[in-house]
Amino acid sequence: MSTHTEPVGPSRPTPPTPPPQDPGGPARRRSGSSLGRLGPLPWIGPAVALIVLVVLWPVYEMARTSFLNISVSGFVRGSAGLDQYRQLFADPDLGSVVVATVVWTAAVVGCTMLVSLALAQLFHQRFPGRRVTRWALIAPWAASVLMTAVGFRWMLDRTAGVLNTLMVDLGLVDGPRDWLGDPATAWPWLMFVAVFVSLPFTTYTLLAGLQTVPDEVYEAARVDGAGPWRTYRLITLPLLRPAALVGIVINLINVFNSFPVIWAMTRGGPDSQTATTTVFMYQLKSDDIGQSAAMSVVNFALVVVMVLVFLRVSRWNKEGA
Amino acid sequence: MNKRILRALAVAACGALTLTACGSGGSSDGSVTLKLVAADYGDQASNSSSRYWEGVATAFEKAHPGITVDVRVINWNEIDSQVKTMIQSGNVPDVLQTGGFADKVADDLLYPAEEVLSPGTRDNLVDSFARAGEVDGVQYGIPFVSSSRVLFYNKDHFAQAGISEPPTTWDELRETAETLAGKVPGVTPYALPLGPEEAQGESLIWELGNGGGYTDADGDYTLDSRPNVETFRWLRDNLVEPGLTYANPATTDRKTAFADFAAGRTAMLNGHPSLLGMAEEGGVDHGVARIPGRSGPLDATLGVADWMMAFRQNGHQEEIRKFLDFAYSKEHTTEFMETYDLMPVTEDTLEELKSGADEDMALFYEVLPDARFYPLGNTTWDAVSARIKRSGGTAVSEDPKKVLGDLQQQAEQIVADQ
Repeated sequence: MSTHTEPVGPSRPTPPTPPPQDPGGPARRRSGSSLGRLGPLPWIGPAVALIVLVVLWPVYEMARTSFLNISVSGFVRGSAGLDQYRQLFADPDLGSVVVATVVWTAAVVGCTMLVSLALAQLFHQRFPGRRVTRWALIAPWAASVLMTAVGFRWMLDRTAGVLNTLMVDLGLVDGPRDWLGDPATAWPWLMFVAVFVSLPFTTYTLLAGLQTVPDEVYEAARVDGAGPWRTYRLITLPLLRPAALVGIVINLINVFNSFPVIWAMTRGGPDSQTATTTVFMYQLKSDDIGQSAAMSVVNFALVVVMVLVFLRVSRWNKEGA
Repeated sequence: MNKRILRALAVAACGALTLTACGSGGSSDGSVTLKLVAADYGDQASNSSSRYWEGVATAFEKAHPGITVDVRVINWNEIDSQVKTMIQSGNVPDVLQTGGFADKVADDLLYPAEEVLSPGTRDNLVDSFARAGEVDGVQYGIPFVSSSRVLFYNKDHFAQAGISEPPTTWDELRETAETLAGKVPGVTPYALPLGPEEAQGESLIWELGNGGGYTDADGDYTLDSRPNVETFRWLRDNLVEPGLTYANPATTDRKTAFADFAAGRTAMLNGHPSLLGMAEEGGVDHGVARIPGRSGPLDATLGVADWMMAFRQNGHQEEIRKFLDFAYSKEHTTEFMETYDLMPVTEDTLEELKSGADEDMALFYEVLPDARFYPLGNTTWDAVSARIKRSGGTAVSEDPKKVLGDLQQQAEQIVADQ
């Protein structure tokens, strides 16, 4: 991201600027202020085109689909008006799914931030092997989320799972259990895997934040006689705020939209009892694409509102401080 | 600079257009690409149906120059939603082989069978199946394979528990399961797969055992009829709660149950003929029997047919006819049935395979004529079936009356919306 703001030289993906041998080039650029304003267009053009193509257009299509009446075979039968939304909100499963989504997002992001904070703190210390352990932390990030989730599903398998066998051998449970079949045990495991895959990014974000705190501030605190806990609370945490904010916002969006973990491990089942709104949207797809699109629109609105509210609250805090 | 980028964009745009043009089928030299989408009957990479269809396509292309067949095989969990996406986005296949057809008839997407089958091929279809492919008197669904369901049991487990005969009633089944649970530890006595893969199948088998079913004589849905609710209550109280089957039937797929049986981890389950091969491969000494009903063995077991259908959209009627006539020849259908231990729907192949059937397989042929099907001719069935797959299984862990009542309500809503 930072490369865009730096005026020095083009970033790697864009072709190098040719020397101004082309006689038309500089002359045209100078010809009028309105044209000159279009100067940056070639540079931001591809990005804008990309955003239009992969963000705005699908959003439009999604919204359009949510107002259509589409048969179960996928045939478009015409407009449905607001019927899809009406039916969606009348769905008896929707309430519990929304509650589950809120709990899921809050719990996973909360746990991720806490564990990451501790990990970042640890990796900020000097200890032998730090480089290797820092690399090792990348593993859950480098592996595809789907792969990790499928791995955990098999490790928890009722009959053949190694985690099941391990827990039986350690005497933690008295027999192999179908962890993912029962929502009561499936949720904690789903959350565990979601936290596991969110840790690397968050830890690195916080670690980067920790490294920006200048030593002089700590020195000043020491001179003033602040203890370690006080220093941490009054110096480290406030200065870590920008990094933590980035971590929370990105995690909120990621976890809220998290699909592969749940889909690979339980498919939202039984029924929709381990589904978040995103998974529920996918389940609805097999019943009614239009209703599924309506759910997507609601989802989209929820993410936007959530992030806006969060940013609002955090900025308000800043002004107050 | 501007020019260069414009040029690059133009090239990219042209490239994209050329690429998409490839997907549209016809081309200037008169050759036609038929898009075939089929379900995967294999349970592992080595016997995936794509091998079979690639083979048929290659042979067909050799015999009919100018027609190429683009084969896409999709697994059962995904095929419905993927086909739906294809139809919705206008990227419709020419020929589709999957589990249901009636929903597509409702939107007039399909050719009637007589327009895409030559008379010879059509006459060769077994009558009862051809009739099951009708919607309001016109045949659209072309049967492709069929199967019936019987009870499988593991003879070693039975011997170990001192049981000599397979159960014939529900009560006997529970007693057998109890004995097995006591004497053969570590084995699931009865596998009850009510997960999304085929909840509608296992449910119907049990409901038939109690005189229930999905529709009444008029074809109206009766999902929460008293016999159906009683069935699930019995299952919950007698198999699920005492731990004589899976802890969470609603999340356990048939695939899992079959794999468990083939690995000797479950003693009894309802299965179709493919399981014979799987059990043999797994070295399981298995027996088959008629499925127990509440008061005696089922007369009418579940019969399942899978269907072939031809879409109008691309207008390839002539080419489709050639392909279907080719694919329905005895040589190819026999190969398919033998690969997957499925039962044919064409007279010539049926005759040949039935006469050569061993004792186990003979039972499947014996129960086939009386088998009951899903309400396939009902154009709302696919939508209703999708709901049953998702939430039907929870009827054995929660209140059956409420779960089935909700399903019935949704079904009525679907019928009303149509």
